[in-house]
Amino acid sequence: MRGLALLVARDLRLALRQSADAWLAVLFFVLTAALFPFGVGPEPNLLARIAPGIIWVVALLAVLLSLERLFLADFEDGSLEQLLLSPLPLELAVLGKVLAHWLTTGLPLIAAAPLLAVLFHMDLSGLGVLLLAMLLGTPTLSLVGAVGAALTLGARRGGVLIPLLVLPLYVPALIFGVGATDAALLGLTARPHLLLLGAVLLVMLVITPLAGAAALRQAIE
Amino acid sequence: MTRKRRRLYIVIAALLVFGGATALVLTALDDSLDLFQSPSQLMASPPPPERGIRLGGLVEEGTVLKSTDGLSVSFRVTDGAQSVPVSYKGILPDLFREGQGVITVGNMGPDGTFVAREVLAKHDENYLPREVVDALKESGQWQGEATQ
Amino acid sequence: MHRFANPARFTRLADRILPFAAVGTVVALGVGFYLALFVAPGDYQQGESVRIMYVHVPSAWMAMFIYVAIAVASAVALIWRHPLADLAAKASSPVGAGFAFLTLVTGSLWGRPMWGTWWEWDGRLTSMLILFFLYLGHMALLNAFEDSQRGYRAAAILALVGVVNIPIIKFSVDWWSTLHQPASVMRLDGPTIHPSMLWPLLIVAVGFKLYYLTVVLLRIKSELIAARLRALDLATVKAAEVQGQAVQG
Repeated sequence: MRGLALLVARDLRLALRQSADAWLAVLFFVLTAALFPFGVGPEPNLLARIAPGIIWVVALLAVLLSLERLFLADFEDGSLEQLLLSPLPLELAVLGKVLAHWLTTGLPLIAAAPLLAVLFHMDLSGLGVLLLAMLLGTPTLSLVGAVGAALTLGARRGGVLIPLLVLPLYVPALIFGVGATDAALLGLTARPHLLLLGAVLLVMLVITPLAGAAALRQAIE
Repeated sequence: MTRKRRRLYIVIAALLVFGGATALVLTALDDSLDLFQSPSQLMASPPPPERGIRLGGLVEEGTVLKSTDGLSVSFRVTDGAQSVPVSYKGILPDLFREGQGVITVGNMGPDGTFVAREVLAKHDENYLPREVVDALKESGQWQGEATQ
Repeated sequence: MHRFANPARFTRLADRILPFAAVGTVVALGVGFYLALFVAPGDYQQGESVRIMYVHVPSAWMAMFIYVAIAVASAVALIWRHPLADLAAKASSPVGAGFAFLTLVTGSLWGRPMWGTWWEWDGRLTSMLILFFLYLGHMALLNAFEDSQRGYRAAAILALVGVVNIPIIKFSVDWWSTLHQPASVMRLDGPTIHPSMLWPLLIVAVGFKLYYLTVVLLRIKSELIAARLRALDLATVKAAEVQGQAVQG
């Protein structure tokens, strides 16, 4: 446990030193979303209707943007090999890395989401559900993304490869996340969507550390 | 902690988490889902006109009226107990026909007519030769299309 | 199982199976398509365009079947380090992608007369699109590394993660499409199909299975031969080096 805490603390410290990375993801999030009114027109009703979908899709892309550097620095400077040799089980180490990634990427995105909701004239009665859904959904994005990042270590064009591997696996989180927000905006119950989002998170919580650890081992061998 | 014991702990933890996930899914499925509303539900609690609604049901037999320009159409959607008048302007899907299931997406108008922006129809999942269907209909055993 | 890890033994076995598989493919597809196009009746609602089903549905089955086959091969490769399992997974992936693509194209052609559009975000068609992307990712990862062994290992892990995710994706897409379509709620008790239409469907499906077997065996064989050639090349280079040194010395 102590090793895990140390690992997370180290990653957070590193992220704070290079806080530009986290800001970049948030900036990308807001900027890309701000392009949509130019694409579909500024009509408030339309924007309000598609707001949940846009916020989710753009959040997905912002997370994707930050995935490549999840293991790459550690892979290049050799600290990944140290991690493999440490007494901390590699599965737990992967979870620690994912936690640090979520704290520095997912959480800032959630903090920025209300801004987008306002910009898109979204009915603010749905804001609570939107944030709750993102709280449940963005960890899934980090978990699945970690597997993609680990698999492509040392690959040719690794950065381009990650979206191809990861995006299809993001579909369930996207569907239930948007579904929850849409339901709340329509005055229907968001509970089943949120429950399913939680179920996806739990399943990924088991699978991705195992797969991620296996991927890291074969990358180092 | 030996390797074997560690593996055992991992397996137990994984099973517990999977169990939690299953419980969540079952609860979610247990919640009655308002995927779309039936005419009865719509009549029971008329929603405000600005709210988009999915109205689902069967196209009532003998209610489809096409306007002379061929673009506007009106029909009633029924669930057997209640029916709601629907107006729609646009091209209908091929499989739209009386007695077939449809979903209409739109708003409730002030005059009690449902103004559809979109009409979705889907073929049922029976793949049968035409002659068989005719025979079934003749003998009165045909249960496709209209009986839900 | 490791008996067949020996390339020579595998090649002998494959050579024995291949003629039967190839002939079987031709016969089954010939009979199946003849029945489908000329003998089977048209549908009561959809008329003649229902005949696309005889390609569409078996391809969809194959696309799903092959992904599971890849996952099984990947598990065997990861757990027992069986070299032929890696080759089988690599050989299967493009075939599966091909069937997924065929499903999408025929689905789209079928959708034109039925739904009035080339593409409908129908639940099953959308799942197939995602499956197609999963295949593309698998193929891309296989070829992304200088060291082919790493490609095999990474792709195997991806295939296993993918196969766990497929039911989740399928469920979520079905969920999503019932939000937008009158599919499952309006449905009677499950799909029904008349025997006169079922037989051609099954025969075509068997033909596709045999085709898959033929292609995979051929591709594994050619991979084995390619590996032998590389080894021979290396040996000649080494021999030349040794000779060169001897001359200099």
